[in-house]
Amino acid sequence: MFKEMSLKSVAAAALALLPVTAVAESPTVQQIKERGTLLCSGHNGSYFGFVEVNDKNEWKGLDIDLCRALTTAILGDPNANQIVPLSWAQRFPALQSGDVDLIIKATGWTMGRDTELGLQFSLPYFFGGTQFMAHGDLGITEAKDLDGGTICVEAGTTIERIAANYLSTLGVEHTMVSYESAAELRAAYVANRCDAFAGWGPNLAVLRATEIDNPDAHVILNDQLSSEPISAAMRQGDEEFVDVVNWMLAAMLIAEEEGVTMANVEDMAANPPNPKVARLLGSEPGMGERLGLRDTWAREMIAAVGNFGEVYDRNLGANSPYKLDRGLNNLWSHGGVLYAPILD
Amino acid sequence: MSDLSVTAPTKFQSITQVLKKRAFPTPTQSALSILVFGVLAWLAWSLFDWAILRAIWSAENVGQCGKGTGAGACWAVIDARHRLILFGLYPFDQHWRSTLAAVAIIATVVISCIPLMWSAKRIVTLWIVGFATYYLLMEGSLLGLQQVTTDGWGGLSLTLFLFSSVVLLGMPMGLGLALMRRSEMPFVRGFAVVLIDFVRSLPLLVTLFTAAVVIPIILPSWLEGDKIWRVIVAFALFFACYQAEVFRGGFQAIPKGQFEAGQALGLTYWQTLGRIVLPQVFRHALPSTINMVVITFKETALVIIIGFFDVMASAKAAFGTGEWAPYYLEVYVFVALIYWLFIFSLGQYGEYLKGRMAISER
Repeated sequence: MFKEMSLKSVAAAALALLPVTAVAESPTVQQIKERGTLLCSGHNGSYFGFVEVNDKNEWKGLDIDLCRALTTAILGDPNANQIVPLSWAQRFPALQSGDVDLIIKATGWTMGRDTELGLQFSLPYFFGGTQFMAHGDLGITEAKDLDGGTICVEAGTTIERIAANYLSTLGVEHTMVSYESAAELRAAYVANRCDAFAGWGPNLAVLRATEIDNPDAHVILNDQLSSEPISAAMRQGDEEFVDVVNWMLAAMLIAEEEGVTMANVEDMAANPPNPKVARLLGSEPGMGERLGLRDTWAREMIAAVGNFGEVYDRNLGANSPYKLDRGLNNLWSHGGVLYAPILD
Repeated sequence: MSDLSVTAPTKFQSITQVLKKRAFPTPTQSALSILVFGVLAWLAWSLFDWAILRAIWSAENVGQCGKGTGAGACWAVIDARHRLILFGLYPFDQHWRSTLAAVAIIATVVISCIPLMWSAKRIVTLWIVGFATYYLLMEGSLLGLQQVTTDGWGGLSLTLFLFSSVVLLGMPMGLGLALMRRSEMPFVRGFAVVLIDFVRSLPLLVTLFTAAVVIPIILPSWLEGDKIWRVIVAFALFFACYQAEVFRGGFQAIPKGQFEAGQALGLTYWQTLGRIVLPQVFRHALPSTINMVVITFKETALVIIIGFFDVMASAKAAFGTGEWAPYYLEVYVFVALIYWLFIFSLGQYGEYLKGRMAISER
């Protein structure tokens, strides 16, 4: 933060005040272009589905793909980034000290982070919240069928409170059993000591897919008890960079909405079905100039990583080992809550 | 025991004699022994069965792994992911460099353990050559190879590098602090006392976190240096402060008369220190020093919290993906074997040194 307050940013701020139509280039983007690499956050190990390492020692995952998308948007090359491994505790100081340009690391948008920590959040790109997983042989799909059941939770978490609250609102009689550690909790659930298990949705899906012998014997209930918006975090004071990140996410969502995929992006760009797609893919000018990027940035980005649906399916959804349902993370037009701002 | 007859101890006893005397002296004890041996044999057999007989070895056969299949250990995960565990995020096609660098570091440490090398000139030359080899290979740009910056370093090579730099830097620093602490100049002594007590009162985690994360926020960027060097210096300082106390114990075991005798013979301070006092200090401090070194080897795993991909972090990444997640046990066993191998060797070297010094004691 301190170092970022260079003359450049002052100059950029001054430019922004002038009544000119040209876009003031973000100091962060300028720095990324000079460096030739985008510095993204990785993890010190692996966080299932979001940040992982493949057999070739390369990073992969939903968050990594978003970083690659942003790299393509800014620099035109999906590999021109450096993924800096960070622990959870280290991520915000690392952002402030300039070790990374932004954090895309399953990070929830909270008021404290937004205000006291001096961060700026992007549009949410993922919603994860408390959900239930139950043994499949109970034949239930909704929480109201849990009447008279035993629910396992991790002690002292917000999940415990949220689950109790939700079930008593529904008027479901239940017994809550809390366990000290996540490992104990899993063991108890697998040993059939409780009917259902409350936890963070994506984690439940990962557990179901990986650590339980027969994934089909377990079902994640439809109820979404709470929902936390997961966003990219940036340093405060560089609105133009926030714009770039937001429109990177927006372009991926618009592409999915319009059916533009990794496979057909070049055809779509050559014969755009409507003016919106033409603008999105840079067949008509306007997309690049307003962000200080190339007009074709979104086309290159989708050719490199795909639209949001493809990225999701590859890392968390149908084409991944986790098979996590889109649920809330679908487009608004398909019953989810993800939507893009208007591309005019 | 009713049997009070005493047999003269013979120097050589056959195994059957030993067993008869130790394990089967009375019927009750025999029964207990059989039970214990039985349980141990069963445990050993189960382990052998799991780890060897029913194990799946090749990554191609991963389909046969899993709980429903009756297969034992799934070493397929090691087959597929060992390069991640050993080399971290180092570029895949450059792994030979990381291997050579690790060999260079191990060779440097092994050679400096040989008594023939124990002269200041030889050992300093060796260390400079060893560490320069490591750096040139890992970083690469000076040898005209693809450049790999320090955040790409990882796995076992990184663990070994962190460990050996911390010990090799920390050992002389610790000795220096111990000497300062014994100084007759109040300022020098006071400085050492305050520094040692301050650093020892901080958890290692805090020290490392400060070096890696807080310092870049405070210092201007030209003073910052690379994260890995900041961490090594902070870790070495931490090691030195503990090691200084170990050396202090060694100094206290030496009667003051020996210093006086040295002075009476007309030796200077450094001559007294180098020829009379220090050899004895090292001997007294040896067991605790080996202890410190072993602990430091294991503590290098703490760098995971500041985002280094040491062997432990890369092991976690190795099973941190959908297809390999069920086989974390195998990965942990593999990493435990790596740690055991190094720490056991260190311990054996300590025993050797002790034996060697016992000879000179006679």
